[in-house]
Amino acid sequence: MSLSSSDHKAVARRYLWSGLGFLAFGGLLALLIRWQWAFPGQPVPGLAWALPESHGALTPPTYTAVFTTHGLVMIFFAVTPLLFGALGHFVVPLAIGARGLAFPRLSSVGFWVYALGGALVLASFGLRLGPASAGWTGYPPLSTSVFTPGLGQTLVTVAVLCAGVSAFLYGLNFVVTVVRCRAPGMTWGRLPLTVWGLFFASVLNVLFVPVLAAATVLVLMDRLLGTQFFVAGAAAVGGGGDPLVYQHLFWLFGHPEVYILILPAWGMVGDFVAFFSRRPAHGYRLTAGAMGAVSALSGLVYAHHLFTSGMSPVLGRTFMVLTLLISLPAEVMFLNWLMTLWRGSVRLTSPMLAALATMSVFGLGGITGLALGAVATDVPLHGTLWVVGHFHLTMGAASFLGVFAGLYFWFPKMFGRALHEGLAKAHVLASAVLFLGVFGGQLAAGYAGQLRRLYDPYQYTYLRHLLPLNQWTTACAFLLGAVQGLFVVNLAWTLRRGRAADANPWRVGTLEWTCAPSPPPEGNFARPPVVLRGPHALSQPESIERLGRDWLGQAEDLPASPATATSPEAPVALTSGGAS
Amino acid sequence: MSDLAPRPVEASSEQVGGASPRTWTLALPEDASAHGHRIDALLGWSHRFEAGLALVAFGWMAVAVWRFRKAPRATVAHGGTRRSRAWVLGLALGAFLVVDGTLLVGSEGYLRDVLWNLDVPARDPRTARIEINAHQWSWEARYAGADGRFGTADDVVTWNDLRVPVGVPVWVQLVSTDVVHGFSLPHFRVKLDAIPGRVNQTWFQAAREGEWEVACYQHCGTSHYRMRGVLRALSPDAHAAWLREAGRQAERVYDADDSAANWGWEWKAP
Ligand SMILES: [Cu+2]
Repeated sequence: MSLSSSDHKAVARRYLWSGLGFLAFGGLLALLIRWQWAFPGQPVPGLAWALPESHGALTPPTYTAVFTTHGLVMIFFAVTPLLFGALGHFVVPLAIGARGLAFPRLSSVGFWVYALGGALVLASFGLRLGPASAGWTGYPPLSTSVFTPGLGQTLVTVAVLCAGVSAFLYGLNFVVTVVRCRAPGMTWGRLPLTVWGLFFASVLNVLFVPVLAAATVLVLMDRLLGTQFFVAGAAAVGGGGDPLVYQHLFWLFGHPEVYILILPAWGMVGDFVAFFSRRPAHGYRLTAGAMGAVSALSGLVYAHHLFTSGMSPVLGRTFMVLTLLISLPAEVMFLNWLMTLWRGSVRLTSPMLAALATMSVFGLGGITGLALGAVATDVPLHGTLWVVGHFHLTMGAASFLGVFAGLYFWFPKMFGRALHEGLAKAHVLASAVLFLGVFGGQLAAGYAGQLRRLYDPYQYTYLRHLLPLNQWTTACAFLLGAVQGLFVVNLAWTLRRGRAADANPWRVGTLEWTCAPSPPPEGNFARPPVVLRGPHALSQPESIERLGRDWLGQAEDLPASPATATSPEAPVALTSGGAS
Repeated sequence: MSDLAPRPVEASSEQVGGASPRTWTLALPEDASAHGHRIDALLGWSHRFEAGLALVAFGWMAVAVWRFRKAPRATVAHGGTRRSRAWVLGLALGAFLVVDGTLLVGSEGYLRDVLWNLDVPARDPRTARIEINAHQWSWEARYAGADGRFGTADDVVTWNDLRVPVGVPVWVQLVSTDVVHGFSLPHFRVKLDAIPGRVNQTWFQAAREGEWEVACYQHCGTSHYRMRGVLRALSPDAHAAWLREAGRQAERVYDADDSAANWGWEWKAP
């Protein structure tokens, strides 16, 4: 693999390794937070080398740096890059029958900007004097140099800007690629749902990441140039700006970001549920339309993050109505998935298990968000671990399981080797159960009133009785961390000596599986495929009758009668009866 | 949903926080306010809906996977009929109207009657007014003294110690001197940002005497977790007596040149 290659598959692999690295880093930071809430102020085993003064115990400044870095590493450097950088870069051109991305060099540049940002985050964390500590949201004036003077906060702000630039670049690249580079016959109505998800999310990237960039640049100017965009005229500070403007800018990006992180996972769930129920996706158009409706609404609901900021009742009511409205398309989509499962022929492969797990944690995450969408019920829950549990279920667990659904599905195509299915299934199942344990525990603690980001929650007497609950949640979190070893072992073992993968191990008809070898060469296809049908041509009467198998390639000519069946795939599919 | 009237005053007394061994139950912090029961009831409904939706979705999923696992494959010509798609739309719309509708209507009622209805404290002559200035990392509270005006010599100032009379509206106006803080009274279902450069306001009413905690819910720096205050709900007589005495003492030590101590503002009209 050449580091300078602009081939979309090489860029995808680069994003994959760095994204997995940051996922591990962010996960370890999360375990530190959980340790602190279970055993406040007690030394963390094995951390004495990093924190010699406290013998390895987290101090309030370290803890603050840890949760700040955990949040922004996970969002900007782990989950988004894994979904778009790794899976998106790999899948989009192949699934639409393109030779590559519209702007190959741009995607390569985007990766290096992202890598620079990642290096800055790691560097900031290594600084003994003042790592970033204003929370991942970086609200001013706390994030201005008046209150967080350390160099770390500046580096991290630049790092977020870098992640934003790369997200904007691949977003733009994906949008242009899907609009302009589809193979002949690949109409909008024949796109796999994964591509729909990635496409809508890319549109959101293009629209809303610049808003984040604006907010970030203004904070940087406040930090470095002495401007006062976000420094208000309170007694001690004396500026003329308004900190609340930042909050509006941040969430105008931040809320669509939730959908940026979940739309690709939704798309994959829609596809995988169809593939592994051996049925066409129920209500394909409705599902794609629902994803579009959510995308369209996503920028219009953001101010529910500000219900307690003292906003005017007119704004509060408007955003309450819009926020509740967004649950309607989400329900349509979810019901379509359930309908697809019904009367299917369900194969519990590792990608299918991961898709079902994604559905479950996303469903719970969405449901627990309802109470946060209405102002009155948001007030007691705002700023508590209920919110944390809710968004970790959707953005954390669902995106994570979505990433692994995609990874387990496309791994044979990416590397030409087959992962161990048993290990993969154990990993997915254990992760899903433990996610429910961790974030369920957070929901419970938040409902009982535990505020987020407290170094020592038990300073408040009304939270003291939550210690056993927090310890139980922490135990689940550490188990969850340990269970990731299953994936690491599987990955290392497969890359070294895994068996060669079948050309089409899942017996599905999308272009990457039916028109290109595994792994695909540069340029992807020997000749451009001509697409004849949609992505879910499964269990069609004519393919069973004429080919004797239950799937049809998107670009496959259907022979006139059974006698003329010539596809080399046919006998395999006949005897194996599809993926198992 | 439940009665609209504020809770009558109860005479019981509580220790700070009212921590009780409810370790494993999914229970809100104890409600000590006159109006919190309306939010609690709405939350209760929301959780019933949430449980119902989860039950239906997971039940459906589990049954489908269990029943059709490796089922002999059937020929399927389409991804749903017009009828099955209509069912999806209808079910989604029905769930949306019931669940989101209840939340919207219930929430709107509370906003109209309580949260955004500052007429209640404005009209009630007994209303107690407090100006709060949030700092890294403490709550500074100011009470107009005997003259009823803020920014005068008999203003009473306390640190991390809020004192309010039971059974009357308490009207809070809130600013921050440094960063964004989050003023919250978990036992009164009150939460509001303290933001530099603007005055935010809210109100609540204590239903019984006791001591409760004031918490900061916005990350405001290293010692955010120690930004803890205590709110004492006193009988109106005890509160008045305390305020009288504290105002007298404040007047004695008043220093017009101490600009840091004289941060109060003329009460902002709603
Ligand atoms: Cu604070």
